[in-house]
Amino acid sequence: MSHVTTQPDATRPAPAERGRPPRRKGRSRQIRRNTLVGWSFILPNFIGFALFTLVPVTAAFVLAFMEWNSFGSPEWVGLDNFQRMFGDENFRVALFNTLFYAGGHIPLTLVAALTLAIVLNRKIRGVQFFRTAAFFPYITSLVAVAVVWNMLFNPTMGPVNQFLETLGMANPPGWTASTDWAMPAVIITSVWRDMGYYMVLYLAGLQTIPEEYYEAARVDGANAWQRFWHVTLPGLRPVTFFVVVMLTIQSFKILDLIVVMTDGGPGRSTLVLAQLIYREGIREGRFGYSSAIALVLFFIVLIVTVFQFRLNERRKA
Amino acid sequence: MRGRLGKGVVSAAALALVVSACGGDDGGGSGDSASSGDGEVTLSVSAWNMDTTPEFQALFDAFEEANPNITIEPVDILADDYDDKLTAMLAGGDETDVLTMKNVIGYSRYANRGQLMDISDLVESADTSNLAGLDAYDIDGSYHAMPYRQDFWLLYYNKALFDAAGLDYPENLTWDEYAQLAEQLTSGDGVHGTYHHTWRSVIQAISAAQTGGDQLGGDYSFFTDQYEMAVGLQDSGFALDFGTAVSQQADYRNMFETEATAMMPMGTWYISGILAATESGETEVDWGIAPMPQRPDSGEVVTFGSPTAFAVNENAEHADAARTFVEFAAGEQGATAIAEVGVVPALQTPEITDAYFALDGMPEDDLSRTAFEPDVVELEMPVSETTSDIDTILNEEHELIMVGDKSVEDGIATMGDRVNSEVR
Repeated sequence: MSHVTTQPDATRPAPAERGRPPRRKGRSRQIRRNTLVGWSFILPNFIGFALFTLVPVTAAFVLAFMEWNSFGSPEWVGLDNFQRMFGDENFRVALFNTLFYAGGHIPLTLVAALTLAIVLNRKIRGVQFFRTAAFFPYITSLVAVAVVWNMLFNPTMGPVNQFLETLGMANPPGWTASTDWAMPAVIITSVWRDMGYYMVLYLAGLQTIPEEYYEAARVDGANAWQRFWHVTLPGLRPVTFFVVVMLTIQSFKILDLIVVMTDGGPGRSTLVLAQLIYREGIREGRFGYSSAIALVLFFIVLIVTVFQFRLNERRKA
Repeated sequence: MRGRLGKGVVSAAALALVVSACGGDDGGGSGDSASSGDGEVTLSVSAWNMDTTPEFQALFDAFEEANPNITIEPVDILADDYDDKLTAMLAGGDETDVLTMKNVIGYSRYANRGQLMDISDLVESADTSNLAGLDAYDIDGSYHAMPYRQDFWLLYYNKALFDAAGLDYPENLTWDEYAQLAEQLTSGDGVHGTYHHTWRSVIQAISAAQTGGDQLGGDYSFFTDQYEMAVGLQDSGFALDFGTAVSQQADYRNMFETEATAMMPMGTWYISGILAATESGETEVDWGIAPMPQRPDSGEVVTFGSPTAFAVNENAEHADAARTFVEFAAGEQGATAIAEVGVVPALQTPEITDAYFALDGMPEDDLSRTAFEPDVVELEMPVSETTSDIDTILNEEHELIMVGDKSVEDGIATMGDRVNSEVR
């Protein structure tokens, strides 16, 4: 069998094979073999994924309808967990906080990243340095970021409030020590941390917009704002779509920064859903209830993402 | 062609086997780690942060010396994750022989799940009249662990700052006198009169112990006096305010060792820390300890604390040796061994207290010795099925009171409302 050694055959049918029906069987076998070879390549990854992601995720779906404390056998309770959830004030608080965080984090990061990308897309001196500097927060350890920002936000001795006081603000916010300002403080920190990463995505997007479009717009007498609005933004639509989807998912599952920076406090003012899931499941051992909350979080993210896909399709048309 | 396909399938299958073998190894591979050849036993003991928690090594060394045929193999776990990790280990049928009970809440959880061996006979045969904290391990008349260490709260103070202010050392204080001292000891250059760490126990556990209030009860009006005192102190600047302490992630050791505070209520575990810091030259603070301030009507010295205990795993591989270890740790030899590294043993006899105060760097005054012998040590937090949920609520509302988001009265009322509606 000659084609065993000729790998390119698979992608580029040899002209000699055309018009030779008897060989069809051999070809379909070859396709099947290639499929299997392909599968074998992703198998190692897939086994890991199935073992550590797929199985637990599926289990969480089932557990949401059960009561289980990680000992003994789970007990089927139907919709009890969901019923309990809607009467649970902690859940309402966490849901509100999560939406608050997402509502602040998504638009602010988007605007900050886009602004940075446009500013740093010019041919100015030291642009490489500034791009690197903007990306730096993203590769800094999250714990370090949280600790340092916490110190900056120190209500009495922190530089942020000292600065605000020199600007003449008599009662600067208490930031992480105040229930009203703790979430804004977390949002500011997260925007600062994430904007560099999305800036890189936008920079790449900006490179794909052909210079000719701008020239044409200029010839037609478009000013800078009109060029941004009618050339840059539409040209960045695929990137923006990607960025918004990533930001949405990232915002709804926020946990790490909050745990290190405020641990949900003061009181419950920064308690988010992911943290409630951890608390109910790992700490209190109510895995059924915890899975039910996780399921709700999953569907929230799913609905928002599907909605974004639809919107994107319509714009594309 | 068939050959290649076959090879692919075989290697994929082999890979799958390797992966699943790795997965299974955690659970069952530890069976033969300990040999029991000629009476030689390797006893595994769970512990946390071995390098910064010297009592474990001290205890292990003393035990191995007294029992030459037993070698101890510590299972070192990160302190912050200790109970999560232990829960997971026990759920997987782990065979670690001796389990350290880091706190009483965890103990009741493991004991109620039947994961700890009943050692009531050990407790009954031992002389436990001087063993502090034992009551906390009584579950319907049976015991599943024996305490070896009993920490309780007292008042640390900086002698130099008291001398400079011309004040007497804090003996037999009431909380009012304590607040006055805090005012007198506060000076302009960043020294606060006292420091209340951000934990809720600093306010809540002490008032529960001294008023007889029940932290699981749902009516928290007994916290009122303590909160008003604490909020008053931070509002007047005589104590570092809560918001600053949290956002700085203030370290109580640092506060005391850099002489940023003149007084500090804290647990006895800090004694070994401050001794170590003094020895390594990190601090030169001249310190002493005094009993916790009391309510005005109190005739005795009441404080709170929490014991630490050893238990035998129900699945222990070497149950007999494990029982020997638990008994040893709670007994005189064990107590002496940990007292020598500055840790407060559960067994309290005059000899052991002498050994403790003979340590290098310990204050030698009478007041410090009095502080070491409180009349009553209440349990920090009562143990029940609702403890953990109530703890979360009390902690959240504690923060709101301390950052000034809620008045003392409102905060305490919300604690009660939430405990009654969310937990019951």
